[in-house]
Amino acid sequence: MDSVVLLQRQLVDYTAQLFNEGFLDDQFNQLQQLQDESNPDFVVEVVTLFFEDSERLLNELAKALEQQSIDYRKIDAHVHQLKGSSSSIGAQRVQKVCIAFRNYCEERNIEGCQKCLQQVKNEYSLVKTKLETLFKLEQQVLAAGGSIPWPM
Amino acid sequence: MAALQRVASSLGTSASTYGSCKGAGVKVSDQFPAGLRVLVVDDDITCLRLLEKMLRRCLYHVTTCSQATAALKLLRERKGCFDVVLSDVHMPDMDGFKLLELLGLEMDLPVIMMSADGRTSAVMRGIRHGACDYLIKPIREEELKNIWQHVIRKKWHDSKEQEHSGSFEDNDWHKRGNDDAEIASSVNEGAEGVLKDQKKRSIAKEEDDAELENDDPSASKKPRVVWSVELHQQFVSAVNHLGIDKAVPKRILELMNVPGLTRENVASHLQKFRLYLKRLSGVAQQGGISNTFCGPLDSNVKLNPLGRYDIQVLAASSQIPPQTLAALHAEFFGHPAGSMVTTVDQPALLQASMQGPKCIPVEPGMAFGQPLVKCQTNMSKRFPQNVVSAEEVASGFVAWPSNSVGTVGPGSNLGGMSSQNSNMLMDLLQQQKQQQQSQQLSSLPEPSRVINVQPSCLVVPSQTSATFQAGNSPASVNQNYSRSPMIDYSLLSPQSNNSSLNIGQVSNGDLKTTGVSGYSGLGSISPLSSCSVNPDNSSQQVQSSTMTIRAARQLPGLGPNISNFQGSYGAKSSEVLDQGPLRNLGFVGKCTSIPGRLAVDEFESTMSNLEHEKFYMEMNGNKVKQEPNVEFTDNTRVGIPILSQLPPTSSDLMSVFTE
Repeated sequence: MDSVVLLQRQLVDYTAQLFNEGFLDDQFNQLQQLQDESNPDFVVEVVTLFFEDSERLLNELAKALEQQSIDYRKIDAHVHQLKGSSSSIGAQRVQKVCIAFRNYCEERNIEGCQKCLQQVKNEYSLVKTKLETLFKLEQQVLAAGGSIPWPM
Repeated sequence: MAALQRVASSLGTSASTYGSCKGAGVKVSDQFPAGLRVLVVDDDITCLRLLEKMLRRCLYHVTTCSQATAALKLLRERKGCFDVVLSDVHMPDMDGFKLLELLGLEMDLPVIMMSADGRTSAVMRGIRHGACDYLIKPIREEELKNIWQHVIRKKWHDSKEQEHSGSFEDNDWHKRGNDDAEIASSVNEGAEGVLKDQKKRSIAKEEDDAELENDDPSASKKPRVVWSVELHQQFVSAVNHLGIDKAVPKRILELMNVPGLTRENVASHLQKFRLYLKRLSGVAQQGGISNTFCGPLDSNVKLNPLGRYDIQVLAASSQIPPQTLAALHAEFFGHPAGSMVTTVDQPALLQASMQGPKCIPVEPGMAFGQPLVKCQTNMSKRFPQNVVSAEEVASGFVAWPSNSVGTVGPGSNLGGMSSQNSNMLMDLLQQQKQQQQSQQLSSLPEPSRVINVQPSCLVVPSQTSATFQAGNSPASVNQNYSRSPMIDYSLLSPQSNNSSLNIGQVSNGDLKTTGVSGYSGLGSISPLSSCSVNPDNSSQQVQSSTMTIRAARQLPGLGPNISNFQGSYGAKSSEVLDQGPLRNLGFVGKCTSIPGRLAVDEFESTMSNLEHEKFYMEMNGNKVKQEPNVEFTDNTRVGIPILSQLPPTSSDLMSVFTE
């Protein structure tokens, strides 16, 4: 029992930390609230979709920025979508970088775009790691017979 | 109480519709909005999944789609199986606004746009395209719990309209929306009416007017709004006044001040109008369109052309394949506005127009339409003169109208013009053809312009003859025309003034942005007399610059001519007068409606031209031609709106007018 409580506390703390550090925002809470008996793995499912889609978009962006003649409209469209999906799951820091990214795109600032691509990749990797850690903790809690204290 | 009942009934309706695709039993009105059939379109699979989940939690029946094209296909295949559509704005395969536009035209579904782009401009764009709501991502469940309201609102309004509608016009409108020609409802109406039966059309118009008059708020049953040319004119005037970007239904409604018209009526019409404009702008991609045009004006101008085209297509009814029209379009448009400036293009244009007999119908339309669309350049350059002439005539009328200024003028006039207009168009077309031919022969751009002007002049006897002589071969045709016109001139001019006044008003409204002053000047000229015009014309023939001036003068002449014709014809003329204004109004105001009519007229004329080219030749000489003349006059009137529009576009025109 102690281990379960400990794990649960760890989970709660870790989640709180993610919010405090700005990795996640309230939209992630919304996401968690959508998880119910009919979809016990809804958060993981959606976040996994987000990972897949984001990686595709990041690859597209990297490709687009390598082109001789840069298609800023295309880049903007990709960044826009990444912004939309990251905001939908509450990946706040990714979303914020996307906003800056779009501004550079609008200015046709290639250096700014490349910088932002790096940043957004970093943020994405960070939040992905964090979320995967979070999910692992959840699994551990469940495996230990505890329940997930969502929504917090 | 009545309102409550309506709500109840509409609720019942919506509830029952739910059942259509699913088990009917599940959807009971008291469970509403459970079972609301929602189609979600988003290329972002993450968002799509989230939305699906949230909507399911609202107990809606959710269908998801990650591609706009697939969604459109689904919606087309399963019409009536969805109550509301949620669509992302940015999608790779199809812009969400495009989807929204198509849905708005093809089916009467409330569409909610969503985007992470929450800028006011983006939201405004969504609303402008007819979105009933615009949700900014990330979307929260709470926002989705309420979307059923859009379904109810729409159904309520629809049922309200249906209850009151005495006519099917609006329904027809929607149906036509499926066609490419749909944009200009009035155009379609006009086209249909003209094609089927011009006279009938005029009568119908009167009926429409009567309906409008009956559109009394106090009446328990409010008629479904029939967007008559007049009403559309008012609408366009209001939009122009506000500026297309700032025109919102409420303010338009206030400006229109039409009893019984609701904000929703206006909003719906505005949506279609915007789409129409958008399409037009898409069609007229050329940068040639002068900035001088106001947004609204431009759109109007464009609209006219489109409308005409559409009409033409309709009229041609397969005879002239859309492709042909498109090709012609391309050709004409292909010639940059610059060509306008350079007269050189004219020959090319002429040739294009001249091209096969097939083209003929198109040509007339083209000439008219093009001017309208690209106005300036096209007008002056290509058909230029023909078009110009018509336009000029129109302008002349406009000028008169401007005096009267009142926008309302149209209503009364509306009645009988159409048939006559068509005739006019015929004549014009013929003339144009002739002119074109002559022009081609001469191959001198400027001369051709002159010629064109002359055509309008043609209507006016003296002018035309003069121009022809000076100009070139066209003379023969012109002469014929001129003959009948000549007579009319003296008599008609006064009458024409009256009609023109009405028209002018309309045109002015549209033109607002354009150089009205120039018109007014023209108008003043026109009243003066046809005689002056004639001389001018002749001189114009000689010089291009003069052309413009001449044109203006000619315009007056034309106006008089028309009036003369009317006088001679008596009954017809009177009808023409009545209808003329309406059409003109339509043209001017909505452009679309008018254009449609014009287009139809042109069509007919073109058609007739093709068939009857020889006849025309003969006709010209004969008195029979008189009818054509009458038609011309109508055309002229129609043209007036165009002219007014044109002036703004082309500096040349302007100068002419000013003169």
